[in-house]
Amino acid sequence: MSRRYDSRTTIFSPDGRLYQVEYALEAISHAGTAIGILAKDGIVLAAERKVTSKLLEQDTSAEKLYILNDNMICAVAGMTADANILINFARQAAQRYLLTYNEDIPCEQLVRRLCDLKQGYTQHGGLRPFGVSFIYAGWDPQRQFQLYLSNPSGNYGGWKATSSGANHASAQSLLKQDYKEDCTLEEACAMAVKVLSKTMDSTKLSSDKIEFATVGQTKDGKIYHKLWTADEITALLKKHDLAKEDTSEEK
Amino acid sequence: MPSRCVRVAAACWSSNNADERPTCWKLKHNTRKLAIVPTNLLHNNNNRRTQLPTQPQPKCMEVLLGITGKDFTLIAASKAAMRGPTILKATDDKTRQLNDHTLLAFSGEPGDTVQFAEYIQANSQLYSMRNETELSPSALAHFVRGELASSLRSRNPYSVNLLLGGVDPITNKPSLYWLDYLASLAKVPYAAHGYAQYYCLSLLDKHHHPNITLDEGMKLLRLCSDELKRRLPIDFKGLVVKAVTKDGIETKPFDEDEKVVKDT
Amino acid sequence: MSSPFSINGGACVAMVGKDCVAIACDLRLGLQALTVSNNFPKIFQYGDHVFLGLTGLATDVTTVSDLFRYKVNMYRLREERHIAPRTFANLVSSSLYERRFGPWFVSPVVAGLEPKTGKPFICGFDSIGCIDFAKDFIVSGTATDQLFGMCESLWEPNLGPDELFETISQALLNAVDRDALSGWGAHVYIIEKDKVTKRLLKGRQD
Repeated sequence: MSRRYDSRTTIFSPDGRLYQVEYALEAISHAGTAIGILAKDGIVLAAERKVTSKLLEQDTSAEKLYILNDNMICAVAGMTADANILINFARQAAQRYLLTYNEDIPCEQLVRRLCDLKQGYTQHGGLRPFGVSFIYAGWDPQRQFQLYLSNPSGNYGGWKATSSGANHASAQSLLKQDYKEDCTLEEACAMAVKVLSKTMDSTKLSSDKIEFATVGQTKDGKIYHKLWTADEITALLKKHDLAKEDTSEEK
Repeated sequence: MPSRCVRVAAACWSSNNADERPTCWKLKHNTRKLAIVPTNLLHNNNNRRTQLPTQPQPKCMEVLLGITGKDFTLIAASKAAMRGPTILKATDDKTRQLNDHTLLAFSGEPGDTVQFAEYIQANSQLYSMRNETELSPSALAHFVRGELASSLRSRNPYSVNLLLGGVDPITNKPSLYWLDYLASLAKVPYAAHGYAQYYCLSLLDKHHHPNITLDEGMKLLRLCSDELKRRLPIDFKGLVVKAVTKDGIETKPFDEDEKVVKDT
Repeated sequence: MSSPFSINGGACVAMVGKDCVAIACDLRLGLQALTVSNNFPKIFQYGDHVFLGLTGLATDVTTVSDLFRYKVNMYRLREERHIAPRTFANLVSSSLYERRFGPWFVSPVVAGLEPKTGKPFICGFDSIGCIDFAKDFIVSGTATDQLFGMCESLWEPNLGPDELFETISQALLNAVDRDALSGWGAHVYIIEKDKVTKRLLKGRQD
């Protein structure tokens, strides 16, 4: 049945589905998990990094977490190569807005710009859709801290806690169970590692398997975002007793 | 005395008394004491003085004035629409509302002015509709500047001078931006365009204060208006005055009596 | 019509010290002889230790500074590090030369510290991007002549941060006092390896 309707993104199947978009979503559900949690004083993003081989150079730069502009970061689930195109587009869109209005782009506008591009590939062009979902964490003066999720169809929504990638269904139900309104950033970080430890293959985590980032506000009201270093992640894991055996044996 | 005398200031703000001069490190220059001041102290513009123009600029008989205060921005524009020496209309409104909290006043080449202002107005309203939020006065000022700057290097640039006044919808802070046809942008506490600059800026230097109330602002405008009527060689047919506050934009009654200002 | 470089007025100077650099500008924005604003800074920061001073036509000062903010932000996001002053100088040069036959009417000055060695770096440009590397000081703006005189007599090698602040401040203030188109206070940045100090100087307000 599907054979006749899935070769092009532009063609609906008789039951009203766009197969290429669904395949893209399928591709994403094989990628490492990414989660985002909104706290009252910040946002945490966490992602699972799939280590394919220990021979692979683990350079310092993040593979799944990216900075979009001064007050927005995002986590990627899906094809990294596709993500790079979209991230470059988002960065340019944000800088173009800054150039025009001398203000940072409001979070939702940036998300929408990216989703408009994604949507375009589900309707025309004869190309495949982008195989990536993003979780965005940002701040703007009008709506303060915000968390968004977008997928290859070009749909997006605002969330209090959300997930994407492998096991996102179970991550989502864990988040639903554990999420507390008005939690602090610290509690959100704890929740993030807990959820990741349950959705990942091994229950014990290590800093080379996950990436962590936070958006927050300093005491004097400035917004910062931070991609965590390996040491900071290890410290957090130890604190919640989720670190790998070899490190926990040392205690 | 040091051999290399740098300069002796005649009306220097700090004393030129040699005893009060700080001892400089190795070189003993006849320079003055450096005063580092807290950032908020310098920019009250109260010491500003205007000077005579070296070249009179064309088409500056139109009057644009802007004043900010504690919680408002006032914008005034002359009501005369002129063409050469002829007044075509005595009830012209040289302002356009960009959104609920921002007002743009314009003067310059007839035709360019309204065309440009309404182009900006349309873009501002489009933004409000698309995004369900309003651009702040600062964002709009930079947007206008960008449009004017790209026009400046096009084949036929807009020749428009602008004042943009507004109140920030989030912080409720009033602001005023001065733009000329070259797209120079400056955030100022009060501003004017055309010949009004030479008469009114000095008046405002003397009397303006950042914390004035709306009533005091209106009094200041009256002062400016009287001076303009006294000094400008042609009748500019009074001023349209609009006040921007956090509650929106309101036209203020002004000049209805058209009384003649007495000679100095 | 006067030259576009001297419609709005303004002055900028950069100096090398011992393991530090300084850059300073005046704050005036004018329309020929009329002063419109006394708070129009002409120095912009593009990284921990990279500063750009722009004098000339005010509209181009804003346009060019915003343009470099765009380019440098994209560089930083792509490279995941701050731009080095020498790299930035070459970016300025090539960006200005793009407009060879319709230039931005600005005279830029770059000051900074090399990220690895911490060595001072300053340079100046003409409006179409020819770089002028200097070991001592760079001046630009309507008070160029006066600044050359002041710097020539006050500057000496290996000044420490405090002495450099005194030198650059005296040079700028005394130069702009002899120029009708610049002045009205100054911003001075002293750039050291581990800190940047920004000071606001009060000048003659006439």
